Amino acid sequence: MVYRLCKILTLDSIFRGVSSVSHHQRALSVVAGASEILPVGEKQIRRFRTVESNPVKHDHNHAYKFYTIPLETKKQLFQHGGLPTFFEQQTQTFMETCIMIRDPALEILHYLKTADYTRPAIRYVMYGENGCGKSLTLAHILHYGLASGFLLIHVPWVPNWMRACKEVSNSATREGCVDLNLDAAAWLVHFKSQNAAILNTIDLRMSKEYVWSKREVTKEGAPLMELVELGISRVKYASECVIALIKEIKAHSTQGRCKTLVAINGFNAFFHPKTRVMTEAKVKVPPSKITLTEAFVEITKYDWCNGAVVLTVDKSGIAPDRRESCLPVYQLGKEGFEHLDPFVPICVRDYNDKELESCLDYYIDRRWLQNEKSCTEEGRNELKFLCGMNPYRLMHICAPL
Amino acid sequence: MFSLIVHQLCTKPIYKKEQQESMYESGEVENILHVPVKAARVDATCSVFHDDLVRKFTNHVMKDGNKVLARELVEKAFQKIKRIQLQRYHGADDSEKKASIETNPLKIFHMALTNTKPVLQLTPIKRGGVTYQVPVPITDNRARFMAMKWLILAARDKDLRVHFPEKLAWELVDAAANQVCSRRQLLSCIFQDMPKKKTLTLSL
Repeated sequence: MVYRLCKILTLDSIFRGVSSVSHHQRALSVVAGASEILPVGEKQIRRFRTVESNPVKHDHNHAYKFYTIPLETKKQLFQHGGLPTFFEQQTQTFMETCIMIRDPALEILHYLKTADYTRPAIRYVMYGENGCGKSLTLAHILHYGLASGFLLIHVPWVPNWMRACKEVSNSATREGCVDLNLDAAAWLVHFKSQNAAILNTIDLRMSKEYVWSKREVTKEGAPLMELVELGISRVKYASECVIALIKEIKAHSTQGRCKTLVAINGFNAFFHPKTRVMTEAKVKVPPSKITLTEAFVEITKYDWCNGAVVLTVDKSGIAPDRRESCLPVYQLGKEGFEHLDPFVPICVRDYNDKELESCLDYYIDRRWLQNEKSCTEEGRNELKFLCGMNPYRLMHICAPL
Repeated sequence: MFSLIVHQLCTKPIYKKEQQESMYESGEVENILHVPVKAARVDATCSVFHDDLVRKFTNHVMKDGNKVLARELVEKAFQKIKRIQLQRYHGADDSEKKASIETNPLKIFHMALTNTKPVLQLTPIKRGGVTYQVPVPITDNRARFMAMKWLILAARDKDLRVHFPEKLAWELVDAAANQVCSRRQLLSCIFQDMPKKKTLTLSL
């Protein structure tokens, strides 16, 4: 068997990781002692990885396996945010971006594939405890959206605007409202990098004229990218550009010229009154008085079709006074719930046994779990116990090993 | 007084599964089965990943009894070691070069310790009104302590803008690759200079 093959290799070379040995022979020999080291042979690699990197073709045959996001796709989708920070570091260390295909993602992909797009846009709300994989599931769905030709409206993390905004200024057009111009311009750059390719193929034009000032006018019939470029270059009008852009896309989707996927991470931050956005007079501003909120509240209504709205509700992104429960009704509050009702709630849970085994195999394959004991059954059982099946905790427990 | 009694009458707790099993096999367990056991240390675990040297090292890193922070710093340092070495591993083209790169942070820590351990230490010896720094043999415990101390101090001495775990990680990686830290270098310079100075016959 594979064990005997590798008794030929010396113990020393095994512990140093002999990369010259091919996949067939890449196994660890039996170490004298009570606990046995499990081999990571070819069969096991097939167990935790899949070659299928197109999310359109993902189904239950690929469940609990890791698929690789190509580098160009990752740059296009996530250059300006979308993947959690620690996960980004992992992708640098592992030299690849791999996401596990899990049940919540497969469920939403199934709904997206089989939904009737002539009906109003369906809202899917993902919820779950901290560290269960909501952001990465959203990333998987975003990749599906790109691969299926959706126009992407993606907000990587709403609390970045509500709790760590870069610049606050009073709105020129709306009284009592506040603009987050630098954040809006950054979002437009993100939108451009994700959708530049698809907007070259689909020709979307402005349906009406927008007058920004005496000299700056966006005429009717101008391409949509012109509005995006204006928002990026003229940061003063960035928030209004975002609102205009979203309303235009909504109209185009309803008329059937394009299909839109809206993906927002941390949507409950739009409805929690306690933000860290302060005016010059040090007065805290609720989200209802921030211009950017209007855009994304507009797109998550059900008065348009030919689109889908996938949202995440996260208790870590809002003030500590609302962290008792992770459930959508509690996190959205009365206002948020009335806005989103009816929606499809999707629970993102901790790892099950198969997912955990798959994850540990992946870490061993990527040389992240270096400690010899972590390959043994005892070590794996200990890791399983310590992390409590929580993906985030597992990642951090495995970090020093 | 009470702690003295406890120290004399009670045995140390044995928390490692392998040690317990071997004691049962060899029959040593009979000696301690009916003896009271001291309370276990806070950092004593039967975890398979527990390493005694790392435990000692964490204690040396600790300041003001903040063991939680000390452990986090050491764990982050190990994580950083892995990232540094994996970057080198993936950057290496040759399979031979890849095989020579050690990516296990625990192994690197052990290698760093053995490389940094001094063989002799200097003690002040006064003869004829002059105090000479004389190299004398060193116990293993003292050598291990000095190695750990030097590694930590060398890490703390580095650029203040960089966090301690990263500095410690680089220090351990360099020490494992036999790029000795400054204190050991200083000591080896002193030892090299010794024959040039007056030779002393000392009755120690």
